[in-house]
Amino acid sequence: MQLLKTPARQANVLLCVLCTILVVSLIGGNVLLNCVTRYNTAASQVRSWKESLDAAEAGGDIAYAEIRKTILDPTNAFSPSGGWTYSGGVYTNSGVTFGRDNLSTSSKVDLFYYDSNGNPWYRIRTKGTSPVTGLRRITMDDRMGVGTRGDSLLRKIDFNYDHFVATYGPNGDNVGKTLLPVTTPQITRRVELVAAPITPFEAAIKDAGTFYGLGNAAQIDSYNSANGAYYFCANNPSDPHYADSRSGNVEIDSAVATIRGMLYGNLYTNGGTVVRSSQVTGAIDNNVPFTLPPFKMPTDLPLPQNSPTKANGNTTINPPAAGAPQSPTFYLFSSFNGNLTVNPYGSSMTYVAIHTTSDITGTIDVKPNVHLVIYFDGNINVKARDLTNESGIAANLQLYGISPTDPSVNQTIDISSPGNFAATIYAPSAAYTMNGNPDITGALVCKSFYGNGNTSWHYDRQLDHEGDAVDYRIVSYVEDTR
Amino acid sequence: MAGFTLSELLVTMSLSSIVLAAAVTCGITLQKSFNATDNYLATHIQQVRIIDYLNRDVKRGLVVTTSVDLQSVTMTLPSYLIQAGDTEALSNPSLVNTPRTPTISYTSSGWQVNYGTSNTGVVYSINGNSIVRVENGVVTTIAASTDQLVPSTTDVELANTEYSSTTVTFMPIFNLAGNTADRTGTTLYATAYLRNKRRG
Repeated sequence: MQLLKTPARQANVLLCVLCTILVVSLIGGNVLLNCVTRYNTAASQVRSWKESLDAAEAGGDIAYAEIRKTILDPTNAFSPSGGWTYSGGVYTNSGVTFGRDNLSTSSKVDLFYYDSNGNPWYRIRTKGTSPVTGLRRITMDDRMGVGTRGDSLLRKIDFNYDHFVATYGPNGDNVGKTLLPVTTPQITRRVELVAAPITPFEAAIKDAGTFYGLGNAAQIDSYNSANGAYYFCANNPSDPHYADSRSGNVEIDSAVATIRGMLYGNLYTNGGTVVRSSQVTGAIDNNVPFTLPPFKMPTDLPLPQNSPTKANGNTTINPPAAGAPQSPTFYLFSSFNGNLTVNPYGSSMTYVAIHTTSDITGTIDVKPNVHLVIYFDGNINVKARDLTNESGIAANLQLYGISPTDPSVNQTIDISSPGNFAATIYAPSAAYTMNGNPDITGALVCKSFYGNGNTSWHYDRQLDHEGDAVDYRIVSYVEDTR
Repeated sequence: MAGFTLSELLVTMSLSSIVLAAAVTCGITLQKSFNATDNYLATHIQQVRIIDYLNRDVKRGLVVTTSVDLQSVTMTLPSYLIQAGDTEALSNPSLVNTPRTPTISYTSSGWQVNYGTSNTGVVYSINGNSIVRVENGVVTTIAASTDQLVPSTTDVELANTEYSSTTVTFMPIFNLAGNTADRTGTTLYATAYLRNKRRG
């Protein structure tokens, strides 16, 4: 007799169920793993792409800091100890690796342009590289359809070779193309920046501290000397020069500002509250902080002339040459309490610079066709009529106050009545005080401002690109998307 | 030989059917879940791609304007690279696809940095089921909008700066009858500032 072996058959059902569950679980697990892997890879590539731009921009910041040093700390600009080398007109840094994700960046800087004031413009070319982790493959391409690339068209990943060097050469100029292996997958992005000089006189009045003025009947407006002499048209929209008449901007890096008179322009403060907003025709922005770096004596001037060496009594300068904005005829004065007259070289536009190590208490007469720049170590104490600028063009008489190295020394500029003047004053460390009701054409940069008269102040729009660079700003940003 | 009784067979078949049905249901559900998850992630990547494309161009844009319906963005970019047909390329074809040296000019708005004599126009828009980027007439599909991807860009111009805020949404496969909340839950936000804002 043969016995039935039913227990084994009964177990088959349970086994089948378990196997089914196992298979389904494996499928489910695989699905999740696949999704997570693809997502992680895509996320990693997106992260690397963004971080490589961060790295490139960090390189731009490093180069920008060196460019600023050419004004603020010239002896240490692009120094070899900072990793910079100079060859063929280009500064190159040795590269920096930073951050948790081992980002790297390197920069090249070249001087590519001198503007009409002789101020250099710099171009910064920087690249940033970020390693790519995860799978060595492009993800999500299939989402774009047959033959249409998606992510890889935007995010160019170098899995084995640097595609940029292979396709365009190391400098992107189609020279020196070569297969350059990469140690790990990476993304590199390149940006080009242009650093432009900031000229001193971008506003009618720029004040780093407290501000009081002007009188209730005062006004600040603007004009453009390229269009001819000043006349008031700020309340006449049909006037052909109306567009140039409302740029009498006032910028105050303080909340302590008592502003009177009519302002045909914008008003910026740092935390202030404008009460008489109806007397400001332009924008009012109370959140515009800025800094005025100390002004240092330029180091690129030529050697001084043998004479004169001071302005005592009646002193006349007859320059031996016309000079140029970047190479004026230069004089060094030990005192300035007399009457100075500066004549042109023939009929040529003549560029003259004076450095006086003393106070200025004398008079100045700048003849037509003379462009005079005076650097002063001390103070100014004159009447408005003492500053005679016969052309009437404010840019032709520029006064620069060299910041005292001792912070406890207070530099002052006192201009009293009577008289009018056309000039520019850049003295970021000086307290400026003005009395009376002068008619002023020009611009002022100072540490604090006090003026109690019914002054008429006319900003010349030609001044916004006039003068020696006092700092740099980035004015152009382009990414090389190849 | 002993066999199964009818009741045994019925019970066994019923249990087997239930197990099989459960297995099939699990399989189908897993497949749907996989599809929905994969679609969600892939579409999210497309959202990121749209934002990345837009932000890259906004950052280097001179002028950015958006349409009234906020779904089309027109930009003017510097012509950084020399293209075939450009003046420089006609005199020296080897310069094609190389960078230009910028030139500086002074305008009524102040100093201006120029790359070439003309700029490059770029337009982002929805074209059928796709989101496309058109640069100088060359069309690039940057996202397939079969997932109902909807970008929306707002251009904000301030006194001293300008920025574009972009949101991109899509309708996930798993949704409650097209509930609006399902779409808004997928919103991706981004803001990019114009670094070359050209005033005046």
